[in-house]
Amino acid sequence: MARRTQDIDPAEAKAAIFEYCKRKGALAVGVADLEAVERICPPGYRPTDIMPRVKSVISLGVGGQTQGAWSVPAKALGYFGSTESRAYTITYGLSFMIESKFGVPSIYCPPDMDPDAGPRVPLQSLKVHAEIAGIGARSLAGDILLHPEYGYMYFASVFTELELPPDQPMATNPCPAPSCVNMYKQIGRTPCMKFCPVQCLDGEVDLETGEQKVMRYDMAACAEMTQQYETVPSAIMNAINASEPQDREDALFDPDNKMLWYKMSVGSGGLLAQCFECMRVCPIATKAPLADPILRHDAAEAAKAKTTKAAE
Amino acid sequence: MTRGLTRRQIGVTEEMIETFGDTIFRMSHNHQVRDGDPYRTLDWDEIERQREQMGLSDAQIAARIGLTQNQVLYIRTVLERRRFHTGHYVRLLELGGGKRFRTERFTPHLDHFTYSDDALELRAAMSFPPELAKKYVEEGWWRDDTLSGWLARHVDERPDAPAIRHGETTISYAELGGKAETLAGALLGIGIGPGDVVAVQLPNLPEFLIAFLAIARLGGVMQTVHMPYRAAECETLLKHSAAKAVICLSEAKDYAPAQTMRNLQNQCPKLKHVIALGPPVAGAQSLSDMIASELAGALPDPPVASDPFLLLYTSGTTAAPKGVPLSYHNMLSNARLGAPEHELGPDDVILSAAPFSHLYGAYSFHVAMAVGACNLLLPAFTPPGLAAAIDAGRPTALWTAPAHVAACMNAGLFDKTDLSTLRLVIMSGSACPPELVRAFQAKVPNGKVTQLWGMTETQGGLYSRPGDPPEVSAGSAGRPSPGTEVRIIDPETGSPRKPGEEGELQVRGPLLFPGYFKNDAATEAAFAHGGWFRSGDLAVEDDGGHVAITGRIKDVINRGGVKFNPRDVEDLLDGHPAIAQSAIVPMPDPVLGEKACAFVTLAPGAAAPTLEALAAYLLKHRIAKTKLPERLVVIDEMPLTPTRKVIKGRLAIPEA
Repeated sequence: MARRTQDIDPAEAKAAIFEYCKRKGALAVGVADLEAVERICPPGYRPTDIMPRVKSVISLGVGGQTQGAWSVPAKALGYFGSTESRAYTITYGLSFMIESKFGVPSIYCPPDMDPDAGPRVPLQSLKVHAEIAGIGARSLAGDILLHPEYGYMYFASVFTELELPPDQPMATNPCPAPSCVNMYKQIGRTPCMKFCPVQCLDGEVDLETGEQKVMRYDMAACAEMTQQYETVPSAIMNAINASEPQDREDALFDPDNKMLWYKMSVGSGGLLAQCFECMRVCPIATKAPLADPILRHDAAEAAKAKTTKAAE
Repeated sequence: MTRGLTRRQIGVTEEMIETFGDTIFRMSHNHQVRDGDPYRTLDWDEIERQREQMGLSDAQIAARIGLTQNQVLYIRTVLERRRFHTGHYVRLLELGGGKRFRTERFTPHLDHFTYSDDALELRAAMSFPPELAKKYVEEGWWRDDTLSGWLARHVDERPDAPAIRHGETTISYAELGGKAETLAGALLGIGIGPGDVVAVQLPNLPEFLIAFLAIARLGGVMQTVHMPYRAAECETLLKHSAAKAVICLSEAKDYAPAQTMRNLQNQCPKLKHVIALGPPVAGAQSLSDMIASELAGALPDPPVASDPFLLLYTSGTTAAPKGVPLSYHNMLSNARLGAPEHELGPDDVILSAAPFSHLYGAYSFHVAMAVGACNLLLPAFTPPGLAAAIDAGRPTALWTAPAHVAACMNAGLFDKTDLSTLRLVIMSGSACPPELVRAFQAKVPNGKVTQLWGMTETQGGLYSRPGDPPEVSAGSAGRPSPGTEVRIIDPETGSPRKPGEEGELQVRGPLLFPGYFKNDAATEAAFAHGGWFRSGDLAVEDDGGHVAITGRIKDVINRGGVKFNPRDVEDLLDGHPAIAQSAIVPMPDPVLGEKACAFVTLAPGAAAPTLEALAAYLLKHRIAKTKLPERLVVIDEMPLTPTRKVIKGRLAIPEA
């Protein structure tokens, strides 16, 4: 932390930060107005609650799917729809980059739940950060933020004591799209409302302006679909309460619940699918010439040199 | 624990949860309502106004309604848990790939169909030795055959091919499929679902087959009730099967089936519906109306081959009826494998003189469905009726019983009937006199007369093939059907019999039923070690593996320690000019234990012979003295099964 903030040009710093984020894979980056974020978020969930001297909230978004991805079965889409870990990687690196480059304390905002309030309450609203930073606008789909160019993204934030010029929220909201307005005119519902599997979405569209009028979101119903951690104690409770041994066994071992245990195993980093002992003794696996990244690099360099020589 | 504190420490009571739970839940993030777009536009007035409807933090709720933050946190999370429905993610499993969620198409998983206790009991009865089941699957005998699947295939491939011919009426496979679907929908509408038993007491009419296919399409189980059965038999069977509905005639010649069934509903509380074919009957639904109704809504998924679909009751040769549950695996594998053995194909027209309510009649339908052949219907057997049906319908295959053939032959009907279209005749139902087969073969110029042995528990176990030499078809029930194993066992010692020696016929194979429904004692008695079914029939196997049925074990008479099978005596008596039909049963004797008693019906116009005259007749035909009947009882009518087999158990020996 050698440098003093007054020596840093905020605009240059912001440009350097944005350049870093884009280079690392962020689709959109913005700086949220701290005062606005502080005013919107309730006490206990404001940036100053975890970083009292915070001056700026940097928000970035990652995401993007191939066109083909949208046509896969829902059970598969669930696996590759989430790209949030990439956002966390970039913000984690960004916090180090700011401290290293500008000598100003920064933190990667934990994208996690508030242990004080249980798992439906986040420590910080990454959504508010992104919205005020102008990289997403609330949609009729339960306030999922949408961007007119990047669609839906996963967001992550960095808090820093470096003062950066804030961006403005988006001037217009891309939701609802014209085709959604047309559907609403015909059936009184937008596609997200009509096709929600738990029917947790409802709302109204202003037919004159084509803008959102009311968004209604039954988060509890949504959670029944999406928050499988709630199912774990339910499965155990069902097993405890089962009067028949077979029902008890089903409550713990039927395919649905075994999927939960499987996911918990994955999360724990325990043995999964294989122990690799077969690969340890496999000559192909252990002696593959280009498995070593250094050897791979050397081979690539040699090929490049050969091409250059041939060209000469 | 909430932030390390117990419920007692926080001071929350169940009453407090009851009082404030819903308010807290609604003020929390669990329900969010946003008017306009105030955050993006930083409209601070609106943001403040909408804070509560957008969801407050626990601390904000606590301040708003006067609880501690911990109390709000505790109550909110209790409500979130109690209101949480598990398993909703399964809604995703059928979405994507072009399929979108539609409320109207979705059934919450808690509302999904659940098998009834009765249906589960029947499903539990479908228990087969695992090592045998493995073999049947590996050999390809048990496959994915179902009646619904076969019908769908014929509807798809040969929609206009005739499926049923009855009098002047022809029903194509497409029409049959449509009628079965609408009836299935109507049955579903009255609460019949997968696994439910529906009893059917109908003659061989198109509606029998439509009902069978409709029940099958629903994943239900058809219980057959033979037409001669009346209230007493029906009550026993319907109670035992726990049938939920019965389909029967409105009226019969000397009997009111629908009203009888309506009356039985008091004694059979599970019998919810009586469905009648014919004129309206008070309290009964109309089968014709149900078949003609519009299909409303989707039918459940079609059944699979391991499902039970048929519940038959043994033909009455034992005192108490025994329920035989059968799966598609058992029955349809036997029919699929049997069709090429009988050399039957889609262009055949099959006439069954046996009722479809009996396994033998059902087998004709199963084989027809296996190949997509036409079922030519004879509602009820009479000798002139059978002859007329052959003349008019020109069948290529005939399922019949020795008694049917004998009756027609004795009446001279086959001398006047055009039998030239018949390529195949199968005779079954009781042990068949060789001379009857030969005599009938002589009348069938272009076809082969074969024999089949089967039981309710097995369907087609043995049969001779059309290509077999005449002596094989006349003198035996042929060889085992594909996949079927048979052995001849000494019934007393359990040791195998050599070729030519009489013993009990035992059967094993993919066709075999799993055991009697709700009758463990009968099941225990019916099976020998290794899954062999004790048929109770006496048989002799020749060196070529052809098996001749020689009688029933229960018919064996033990005269002072000398045991004999009276079958050859009966065959001779049946050939006596004064006798139409005979049956010999044991009668108690204080000295010898048992003696033979002959029951006979007389040929038309014949005078009753004396016992002495019959004895002389039998001795002349070289019957041993010890086997001679020692009492003669002349009766007007022989008690017969639906396949015209004598029910010896009903022959009551009168007081001397």
